[in-house]
Amino acid sequence: MSTSAGSIEADRYGYYGRSPVKPPDWSDKIPTYIFTGGFAGASSLLAFPARLRGNDALARPLLYGAAAGAMVSTYCLIMDLGRPERFMNMLRVFKPTSPMNMGVYIFSVYSSAAMLAAAADATGVARPVGRACEGVAALVGPAMATYTGVLIADTAVPTWNEGRVTIPSLFAATSAAAAGAWGMLFAPPQRADAARRFAVFGAVGALIASKRLHAEVGPILKESFKAKEAVKLGRSATVLAFSGTACALLAKKSRFFGVVAGALLFTGALAEKFSVYRAGYISAKDPKYAVTLQRQRIDARGGEPTRLREPSHDGRPAGSVSA
Amino acid sequence: MSTFIDLTGAAAQSATYGADEQQRMGFFTDTTLCIGCKACEVACKEWNELPEDGYEFTGWSYDNTRELNGNTWRHVTFVEQFSGRSAGTGRWLMESDVCKHCTHAGCLDVCPTGAIMRSEFGTVVIQQDVCNGCGYCIVGCPFGVIGLKEAEGTTGKCTLCYDRLKAGEEPACAKACPTDSIQFGAVDELRERAEKRLEAVQGRFDGAQLYGTDTGDGVGGTGSMFLLLDKPEVYGLPPDPIVPTKDLPQMWRAAGVGAALLVAACVAAAVRA
Repeated sequence: MSTSAGSIEADRYGYYGRSPVKPPDWSDKIPTYIFTGGFAGASSLLAFPARLRGNDALARPLLYGAAAGAMVSTYCLIMDLGRPERFMNMLRVFKPTSPMNMGVYIFSVYSSAAMLAAAADATGVARPVGRACEGVAALVGPAMATYTGVLIADTAVPTWNEGRVTIPSLFAATSAAAAGAWGMLFAPPQRADAARRFAVFGAVGALIASKRLHAEVGPILKESFKAKEAVKLGRSATVLAFSGTACALLAKKSRFFGVVAGALLFTGALAEKFSVYRAGYISAKDPKYAVTLQRQRIDARGGEPTRLREPSHDGRPAGSVSA
Repeated sequence: MSTFIDLTGAAAQSATYGADEQQRMGFFTDTTLCIGCKACEVACKEWNELPEDGYEFTGWSYDNTRELNGNTWRHVTFVEQFSGRSAGTGRWLMESDVCKHCTHAGCLDVCPTGAIMRSEFGTVVIQQDVCNGCGYCIVGCPFGVIGLKEAEGTTGKCTLCYDRLKAGEEPACAKACPTDSIQFGAVDELRERAEKRLEAVQGRFDGAQLYGTDTGDGVGGTGSMFLLLDKPEVYGLPPDPIVPTKDLPQMWRAAGVGAALLVAACVAAAVRA
């Protein structure tokens, strides 16, 4: 409608191509954490039934994998802070409205348990305590694998916020694929049945969830997965999940196929999580996503904004007090 | 779902201050009066001891500031609406943008350390000695207001000059504004003033509309309100902001479903075929 003077062209979607929302100012340590934390949590979960059945050949690599995942997670989580020495400030409050605050409690309990469990197993010291820790880690593991979905969904980043129903399940699935893949990599094939099935459930689940996520976010935000920063990761994730699943089906007796399937599925799970992360980044960075989404929302409501709740009788929300 | 937000006690004027509770204060920025002088930007930097934004030339009309961020808490936007190159056929839009001090503030809700607080003036303030620079508020804000302060490793945004308010002074930007485009006052009063002003200018300015005055919108209305002359997105403002926490219960339920599926997959995988 309005054109600009000279060579200056205000972007039709916004203000000189600047988005009304900001993308995250996080380094790749955060998507790495989302992956390693989920992988660790699902590994602890899978280790539990293996231990119950006395299948230590599978349980032990999973315990150590979980501990390694927890260690990498700890590093990423703390070192990405602008002030790492203030990490503990997150433990000074208990704040249900902040998924990151809730997550720090989940993470603290989980990572302590996972590392203690592995340490006890490796050294043979305080075995009963170690076993109890394995139980705690298995119990908190599913929360580790899914809370990061809530963390990124509870933002103004369009693709993450609109994908809020599916993202936690997608993260659960990729975590299962990574944990199962780890089991196939480090346990002998005849003892890795559960890992193989878990990996395949995860990989297939991730393929389904990924499709659902693209549908959930709608036709405009779906484009954010096709942006050049995200598209290769998404395609790689799909190819790796399919080929990894195929190899996993051949891996019942073959260590070779087991290792190949493990490597493919582990990498595929990593790529899937990074593709969701990158798509979100793009959806916040490029103004067309937030502006088009919100404009359509207003038009669909006949010019009205989205209501937090219906106004009370005096036209004020319940949370505010008139002066 | 709506009661969830009330439970946080984080909404403006949540009565946690008791006798120390003050009137909720805010801004009304009337863009019909803005002359684009950037005195507000300078006064803000000066009073709050904020570093410069760099000396790059953007080519965005007279805007070399670009955006609100950790070290820039007032930002004057410039939009040139001219058809062709002839003078007298178009108009300039200028608007001094600032933190919205939302009734339901996304940054405050998601802050994991409690560094972001609701002041006794109903404003939203980041406590610099508590913030650990996790950056969650940057994406929690539906207006893209907050940014990292590189030198400090924390995040920053407008405090509505909390220190000046405590001393009974008005914020530096409002004090410096030579045309009263930036007006400071009690939010309820400003909202009425904004509505009156809209009535007065309607017909004189194309596209005149209020922004942030609707207490029923997705953030419960804002403490910083605006009179705009075009759609919000023209100024780089979100047309339909929603506090992300609005759907938090739904998100945790979704995580519960994901966790249950994970456990089910594990049980199914572990059962001997």
